[in-house]
Parts: sequence; structure tokens; C-alpha cells
Amino acid sequence: EETITAVHAFPETLIYTQSFLSFVDKVNEAGEGVIQIEVRGGPEAIGMFQQPDAVRDGIVDMVYTPGSFYGGALPEKDALVASNLTAIETRENGGIDLIDQIHQERMGLKYLGWFDSGVCYNLWTRNEPSFDADGNLEVDGLRLRGNAVYNAFFTNYLEAQVIDLPTGEVYSALQNGVVDATGWTQIGLIDLKWNEFLNYRIEPCFFSTDLGVIVNLESWNGLSDEAKQILQDTAIQHEIDSVNALRGKRDEDFAALDAAGMQVVELEGEARANYLAAARETTWARMKELMEAEPQSVASYDDLIGKFYDPAADQ
Amino acid sequence: MEWYEALGLLVGSIMFLMALGMPVALAFLAANILGAWVFMGGERGISQLLNNGWGSLTIFALVPIPLFLLMGEIFFQTGLGGRMFSAIDKLLGRLPGRLSYVTVLGGTGFSTLSGSSMGSTALLGSLMVPEMKRRGYKSHMSIGPILGTGGLAIIIPPSALAVLLATLAKIDVGALLIAGVIPGLILAAFYIATIYIQTRLDPDAAPPYDVTPMSAGEKLGILMRDVVPMIGLMVAIVIMMINGIVTPSEAAAFGALGVLILAAIYRCLTWDAIKKSVRGALRVTLMAYLIVFGSATFSQLLAFSGASRGLINWATGFDLDPTMMLLVMFGVLLVLGMFMEQISIMLLTVPIFFPLAQTLGFDPIWFGLIMLLALEISFTTPPFGLLLFVMKGVAPAETTMREIYRAAMPFIFCSLMVVGLLILFPILATWLPGL
Amino acid sequence: MRAVIRAYDALLYTMAFIAAVTLVWLMVSVVVSVLMRNLGMQPFAWLFTSAEYGILYMTMLGAPWLVREKGHVHIELVTAALPSALRRIVSRAVALACVAVSLILAWYGLDLFLTNIERNDFDVRAYYYPRWLLTITFPIAFSVMAIEFARFVFGPELMHSGEAGIHE
Ligand code: NA
Ligand code: NA
Repeated sequence: EETITAVHAFPETLIYTQSFLSFVDKVNEAGEGVIQIEVRGGPEAIGMFQQPDAVRDGIVDMVYTPGSFYGGALPEKDALVASNLTAIETRENGGIDLIDQIHQERMGLKYLGWFDSGVCYNLWTRNEPSFDADGNLEVDGLRLRGNAVYNAFFTNYLEAQVIDLPTGEVYSALQNGVVDATGWTQIGLIDLKWNEFLNYRIEPCFFSTDLGVIVNLESWNGLSDEAKQILQDTAIQHEIDSVNALRGKRDEDFAALDAAGMQVVELEGEARANYLAAARETTWARMKELMEAEPQSVASYDDLIGKFYDPAADQ
Repeated sequence: MEWYEALGLLVGSIMFLMALGMPVALAFLAANILGAWVFMGGERGISQLLNNGWGSLTIFALVPIPLFLLMGEIFFQTGLGGRMFSAIDKLLGRLPGRLSYVTVLGGTGFSTLSGSSMGSTALLGSLMVPEMKRRGYKSHMSIGPILGTGGLAIIIPPSALAVLLATLAKIDVGALLIAGVIPGLILAAFYIATIYIQTRLDPDAAPPYDVTPMSAGEKLGILMRDVVPMIGLMVAIVIMMINGIVTPSEAAAFGALGVLILAAIYRCLTWDAIKKSVRGALRVTLMAYLIVFGSATFSQLLAFSGASRGLINWATGFDLDPTMMLLVMFGVLLVLGMFMEQISIMLLTVPIFFPLAQTLGFDPIWFGLIMLLALEISFTTPPFGLLLFVMKGVAPAETTMREIYRAAMPFIFCSLMVVGLLILFPILATWLPGL
Repeated sequence: MRAVIRAYDALLYTMAFIAAVTLVWLMVSVVVSVLMRNLGMQPFAWLFTSAEYGILYMTMLGAPWLVREKGHVHIELVTAALPSALRRIVSRAVALACVAVSLILAWYGLDLFLTNIERNDFDVRAYYYPRWLLTITFPIAFSVMAIEFARFVFGPELMHSGEAGIHE
């Protein structure tokens, strides 16, 4: 029996970690006598932002983390961030294989699977959002909390006043009005209790989560074919299962928020299309710029966009 | 390797090196090199250690501490502090240990401003200790109350640690914050009682006094001139926070700027005072942050090697009645708190303790508050209590570590008494949030 | 030789001076960014980022100076209990161990710095900041720290006072 070690980027109680741990359980069940995953812990075992380096250097064999945590080494992760597809479609169209190939060549990592996909981000505000004559969101006077992932969109397109804050400080910042709006995934607002202060959700949602399982390539190559097969099959199945599970969770969260008085405000028509296009294109622009700075390009920019963005899905 | 062997190796090496007299930061780094080698696969582990180091030092949460230190240093070096404390001496007259009481009151007030124990200790320590020393207070009369009130900062809202704990445990953030108010005030009252007892038992602990009688008008004049502007600065910053002009982490910068402006107004801002202030703040910051650098990885090694998880599972594996189980969990927190940093402890214990607390029928808010008190205590428990080292940094050079440990003891005991009260009367924690 | 020592001292104090300036910069950057925000302007992102990175630069560049100042807190338990001849030996041995730790970290810090250049690693926040600009502080700071600790191994001064006597 072979054993590989793993750590996860987020605390154990977070829903995304629970999803990963259920994947581990499935592997350990299917892999009895062949392959077992031994989870060493979360950010308390290896720092959140040090995990990508740790798996690259072989300190652990497997890490579950957002691609954005190693975006400096792999700008192509923005294809996932700006994607309007889930792991189910991109596994079929070869998108994930392409991402795997880029991971292998650029970082010496095996990209095993894109979990918990299909979850997107909303803007959440305290006060009722206002719109200009063309139906565009007005951001004047909005104190918007940002971070590295969405600032290209918030600052460059929305021209909003962005305040960078770590997640842990957002609660008190909302409480005393340092910020009155933030981006966040569809799921999780309740767990963070930010809904105590936020009253409006702006639709449509943009971006996608980019959580994936990465494995040290040497460790991966050292596994038996049978072990590899079990890991890969289970990961592909979990890509599908997690999309469905999180959709269920999102519906639950939205229902609970609705019941507690969360109002939904929708952008319409052209303003909506522009908003979505801007989120996507500012992110692509960032990716393109960084890819061009890289001497050896593994995959072409157009190829990536083609696999992770389907214009038809936006209709 | 079994968990207790890993625990023995890591904890044993750090204890050995610290006892031998290796600087604390270097002892951590040495133990980390050893631990990284054993548990993280040799050389690669040391790169990991260094990666952790810069990761743990480039976070905004560390910005306030040097600025609080700077604020306190400017206050002291420009003589503003001397003026204020002389004024308080004159106003409070014959009360023995009056500056110790002022420390507790000021520290409790400051807790409503600061969510960080280190920031609170840094400010009060650099503000009060040198001045109290100069006035002939025995060191435990200044160091003890400051260490105690430093911990208050995380019990009384706002508290970054409470928000994080509530988020991890998925309990109501607001309720946990509010729940801390009454126990926090009781704790402050215990501190005051402790000082009273200490001055009674040892009248020499606080300096004798000769007070010249003053008219009410003179008193008012001194109050307006020497006390109100300084207190006013604090109040102004609290108002800025409440109105959302600054976040709690940003408040320290305005504190430092405010004291600079005050000193300029009072015409005591000399170039020499500025240099001494920056130098003093820098010394303590560097000392504390190199320890942060070293200890970041030490906590992780305890987690990664399975040592701390093993300890938790072993201790909670016994079949005991609820109160005993609570004490076991409390004990585990204290033991981990001796060597680990607070956030890591929460990440490790919350997923195990909260479900357990639920099956034992504990109120989650009440239990969360007891956890916070354990974490508060662990800031000041030897050998590794970051507040103790910050205090060593701001205290006069001849203050020994042992004096600091001893000064902390009565105040740790106060926290334990509050925990006891909470066990006997859970309503102290649950009443306010239930309103 | 004297010129070398003078140049080295200048390096040490320059590093400490940069650390001190960085500390003041923390205050300035926060104040400016809060003022801009409250005047309805978008604060420059580098104000925030420079404060975060500033902590690392301050700590690493100032650490060697603090060794010279004997400002790194240590506990005198064993060294205070020993007779003075033995204390001198233990104190120098501990300083030697500190040299070893510093050299190990300087060496692997250099390794990390070179790896960051080779892999073209970035730290991603408001900007894509080359990581070697952060990790370059390790080989420098720990080398100078090793030299400073070495002064307590070979120099006339001891790291441990033992003066606190029975207290510590
Ligand atoms: Na507080
Ligand atoms: Na401690």
C-alpha cells in the first residue's frame, strides 16, 4: 500500500475543505490496499501561501488550494478565474488536460482536478445600489473591499474606491463602515456572518472559484499505475459530484439569505453584458500580459480562452 | 514517529536551548532547523522555514505594534508622559499604587480601541513602565497590570481573535464579542483588587508620596493642561474608529502622529527625542518580530508532525463528565499555548473542540469565551508568551525574565478565577448576548 | 584591515538606519492612505503594500544591529548559576551555536533567493512583486548576524552578563 501526504489551504471547518476531505475519504475507500491519502492539516500545518511551494519542493505530496495562491508562477490560472464553465465541461473539452500540461511543464506539478467549480462571485452591498441612465452600476461613494483577485475588475473597470483588507478584518470593517461593499463567492457569506451588515446582492455573478488538487510530479510518477488510476478516476468523479453538491449548497444559502431579507438587484441588458465582459476581459488582459512576459509559453492564450470560455453559456 | 516522541523532540529542543541562554528567536530557528530536517524531509524543509518566515512577516496585522511602541516612546521621551503622570499624582493624592490603577483603567479603556494584545502591551509598556520605574514603583507593580490588561484587549470588543474564533467555529460573531464585555470588566475589577492587596501586603511596592494640598482651581488647571489633551487624543481615535474613518489596525498610526503633534504644541519635540523614540520602538519591534519569524514555523512543525493533533486526541479520548472534559480541553489549550501561536491553536482545536462541546451540551458562545480566556492566558505563560518578551523589551534593561514571569502570575490567576466564575455562573457570558 | 572593519560597521549601521526609516514609513504610509481614502481619493495601492513588505525589510535589516546591541531577548538561567569560568565557556558555546544557525539560514537563504530568480517567482498582491527582492534579505541579514554573533565567540565581550546574578 502506498501513502501520500496532503494539506489544504483553508481551515478544516470551511465548506471547500470539507469537500476536499470527502474526496480523500473516497480515495481511501477505493484505494484500500493500494493508495491512501494522509491529511496533515490545513494552514496551521503549512502556511496558506507557502503550500504551493511546499508541494513543489516535495515537503507534501498533495495540496488543495486556489490557483490564485500561486498565480505568480502560473498566470494561466486566470483562465479558470474568468471561466463561465465548470470542471464537467472543461474536463470533456480537454481544458483541464491543458491546465495539467501547463502545471507539469511550468511547476513540476500534476493537476489532478478542479473541484468545487461552478461557484461564482457576487458583489454584496450594504445600501441599495444605484444605476445610471444606461443601467450601469454606479460606484461613486461605494467603499468596496478588494483583494488581488478582483482588483483588476474593480479598479480598472468599475473605477471603484477599493480598500484592500484581509478576510479576517472585513467583519469589523463592515461593522463600523470602513467598507460597505465586498465581492464574495455565492457560498459562505453566512459562515462569515457578513450578512449581518450586507443587504443587497448584485446579479449577475462573475468569475469562478479556481480550487484544485495539485500533486508533486515526482511523487505522482513514483506511484503505481493502479494508484494513479484510482486517484484520477476519483478526482474526475469528485469534479462532477462537487459541482452538484455546491449548487445545492448555494441554493440553500440563497434561500436562507432571502428569508433573512437579502435583496437581489439585477443588472439588465447591455449594462449586464458589459459588466460580465469587463470582469472577464480585465482578467484575461492580466493573464495575457504575464504570459507574454514568460519566455516559454506552454499553451497559447487563445487556446486557453477557447477551452474555458463559451460565449453561448452567457446567453 | 509517535506523536509524543515528536512533541518531546520539538519541545525538548526549544526548552533546552532557551534554558542554555540562546536568544529566544535563535532558539526557535535552531529547533525549526532540526524539526524541518526530521519532519519535512531534510534541506527542502529549511527552504520552507524561510518561506514561512517572509510570509509571516509581510502581513498588515503587524503594522500597528511598532506604531504603538513609537507612540509610547514619543510620549515618554518628549516628557509628555512625565507631565501627565505628575498631574495624575497630584490629582489622585495619597492613593497607594495609583499609577498601577491608572494602568488598569487606561488599559481597559484601550481594550475598546485595540483588538490585539501585543499592540496593547506595546503601548502601555512603553508608556508606563519607564515612568513608573523612575517614580520608584517595584517592577511587578508596573509589569503585572500591563500584562494583565494586554490580555483584556482580546476579551473586550473589538477583538480580531474573537472574530476569527467565531468564524472558524461558525458561531455568532456579534454574540461572542458582546459576551466578552461582562467577564472582561470582572477581570479588570480583579486586577484592581490584586493591586490593592499587593500594596497592602507590601507598602514599599509603590512609592511613598508627599502631597501638597491644592485648590480645586489649581487641580482643574492641571487636569486641563496635562491630562485632558492626552486622553482627548485617545478619545478622538476611538471616535474615528467608530465612525469608520480608520480601521483598528490603522488607529495606531494616528496615535503616533497625534502624540507628535501634541509634543510639538507643548514645545517638547526635540530632534534628540525623536531619535531616541524611533530607536527604542525599533529595538522592541525587531526583537519581537524575529521571534515571530522563528515561531511561525515552530507552531507549524508541531501541527505538521502530528504532535499537537496527537496530544489533543489523546487528551479528549477519555470518558469524563462534562466539567472534567471542559477542564481537560482548557488544559490542552494552556499546554499548546506555551509553545504555539494563538491562530494555529484555534485552527487545530476548533474542529475538534466545538463538536465535542456540542455533544457535552455546552453553550457555544460560553465555550468560545472560555477558549478566548485560555488563549489570553497563553500570551503570558512561560516559556513562550509573546507578551512577556515584548515586556522584556520595553522594561528597563536590568529587569530579568524571572521578574517578568513572577509579575505575570497573580494576573494569570485572576483570569483563572474568571474562568471558574464562568463555569459556576454561565449566565455571566450568556446574559448580554441573549438580550 | 581597519578599513574593512570600518566599511563593515558602516554597512551594519546603514542597514539599521534603513530599518529605522522603514518604521517611520509605516506611520506615514498608513496616515496618507487613510487621509486619501477619507478625502474620496483612491489611495495608492503601494502605500499598503510597502507597509506589508516594510515589516520584513525592517526586521531583517535591523536584526544584526540588535545582536550587537544585545537586544535579542534571552533567558539567563544556566549561565547565571554557573561559576564565572564555566559561564564564559557556555556563553561562547551558545554564541557559536548562534553563528551556526545564522550561517545555515544564510546558506539556504541564498539557495532560496537563487531559486526565486530561476523560477521567476512573484508574490501576488496589488502588484506582481519579484520574490527575490524579499528573499535577498535572508543571505544578507543572516550573514551579518553570523559575524555579529561571532564577535561574542571570539571577541572580548560576552553575550551573557551573568550580572543579574542570582535573579537570573
Ligand atoms: Na479589544
Ligand atoms: Na505562552
